[in-house]
Amino acid sequence: MSFLSDIKDYPWTSLLAGILPARIAARLPERFQAPSSQIVPPASVAGRALTVVIAIMTFLACLTAGGVYMVHQSASAWVDDIASEITIELNPLNTTDVEKKMTLVALFLAKQPGVTRVKPMSADDSAKLLEPWLGSTAALSALPVPRLIAVEIDRSNPPDMKVIENALNQNFEGVTLDDHRRWQSEIKTITRSTALGGIVVLGLVAAATIAVIISATRSAMATNRGIIEVLHFVGANDRFISSEFERHFLGLGVRAGLVGALAAAVTFLLLPFLLHLLGGGAVTEAETRRLLGTGELDIWGYLLLVVIVVVVAALCTITSRLGVFRVLKSYA
Amino acid sequence: MIRFDNVGLRYGSGPEILRDVTFHVHPGSFHFLTGPSGAGKTSLLRLLFMSLRPSRGLIFVFGENLADLPPAGRAALRRRIGIVFQDFRLLDHLTTWENVALPLRVMGQTESDYADDVTDLLHWVGLGNRIHAYPETLSGGEKQRAAIARAVIGRPELLLADEPTGNVDPAIGNRLLRLFVELNRLGTSVIIATHDYALMDQLEAPRLMLHEGQLQVGAPQMGAR
Repeated sequence: MSFLSDIKDYPWTSLLAGILPARIAARLPERFQAPSSQIVPPASVAGRALTVVIAIMTFLACLTAGGVYMVHQSASAWVDDIASEITIELNPLNTTDVEKKMTLVALFLAKQPGVTRVKPMSADDSAKLLEPWLGSTAALSALPVPRLIAVEIDRSNPPDMKVIENALNQNFEGVTLDDHRRWQSEIKTITRSTALGGIVVLGLVAAATIAVIISATRSAMATNRGIIEVLHFVGANDRFISSEFERHFLGLGVRAGLVGALAAAVTFLLLPFLLHLLGGGAVTEAETRRLLGTGELDIWGYLLLVVIVVVVAALCTITSRLGVFRVLKSYA
Repeated sequence: MIRFDNVGLRYGSGPEILRDVTFHVHPGSFHFLTGPSGAGKTSLLRLLFMSLRPSRGLIFVFGENLADLPPAGRAALRRRIGIVFQDFRLLDHLTTWENVALPLRVMGQTESDYADDVTDLLHWVGLGNRIHAYPETLSGGEKQRAAIARAVIGRPELLLADEPTGNVDPAIGNRLLRLFVELNRLGTSVIIATHDYALMDQLEAPRLMLHEGQLQVGAPQMGAR
């Protein structure tokens, strides 16, 4: 519970002064100034370089978490989308009247139980699907591009795919049914892989942050060895000494975390424009959009960044506490 | 209150600085610890405030055997002891007032509870006009008085002082001695390490005399030299 009491007692109003450059911070009203009578001088614990390192770590953690979240959201929407649809593919080869066959198949499908909507796609629609890869060219009309029928199904009362597939095969030649199961499975695999990769990156960022804080704690304690000795001689216990260091690391975590998360939030806000600017052509842009959706983070995504700030602050505080206790034990 | 039984101390593998030191300090007593420079006065004080561990022998402080005491227990004992260091050990980034208030802050008291006491004590030791000054702007004598004020602000049961009048003029020295005597009358045991015979001669108190690492307990004397 001491972590909570540290949070409660922390001079939060002074955080602003900690983020701003010293010259600007000095002009802030008194209540926003850092308290002058801290037993361990703030400058001896959290220098600007350490703040920058933690801010960069937070930025990377936020980008990773936000990216994974975005991919997950996009993939979920995609899976939802394709799970409520099946696609009928009609091979135009060996078919004299493709349009007629399309109409017959569509009518047949519309009669099936569990089918809510049937949408035959025109030859132009099929060509548009290939445009990102083959470009807009008249040569497409000469190619035997398969014709597609999008069929929406009632997910609460889905049709028996096997029955429909068998019926289509019996009544129509060159017609195949794709229930998107393979795609769903692949999307889930990609999403899980992305999430796993994200967790690995977050783990590495957390490990690096812990290593930096441990090193900073040791350095701060070596710098303030004289103060620690005096505190010991006037009867301070390890808990008191630890709290004097922790409050600085808590402030450092919050300050640096906010800066890192803010930078990440701005990056996510600019991402749709960046995707467009750095898309590298229609194909890459289309693929990136398929992976990341529109590139926009929703409100839950931004809340995730806030959670990361809290985690970074907690990580800084808890790591410094353990580090201080460890060093104090070695002094005893 | 304090008992040393055959205590020996050596630094590393060097010679013994203190040998077979045995003495008792009773509650409410006043002792001078004296001896030539290098006799081991500071080392003996460091053993008393648990900054060093003896190489051999037993030390009991407030009835606790220091050899068996966990670190948390040491902190609790130190709160009952006031210490004046020869090199003052004031924290340079805190004002005189904040330095003096430090032991009370460590004890968890709130500033409103001790603010008046700290200010009154600083006036008493002649630092009333240096309350907001930082140690680096204080003279040696002023630092000495601030260090003494910090040691006594918590009304310790035992006061240990290492050359507490070494940097002050005789008038201030006498005034500080009166402060120690007053504290002693209120029940604090006092041990002052000094080689200032003029100071010792002002008070009839037993002298713990260190010579070449060995301790002799002298009878109370006044004006003898």
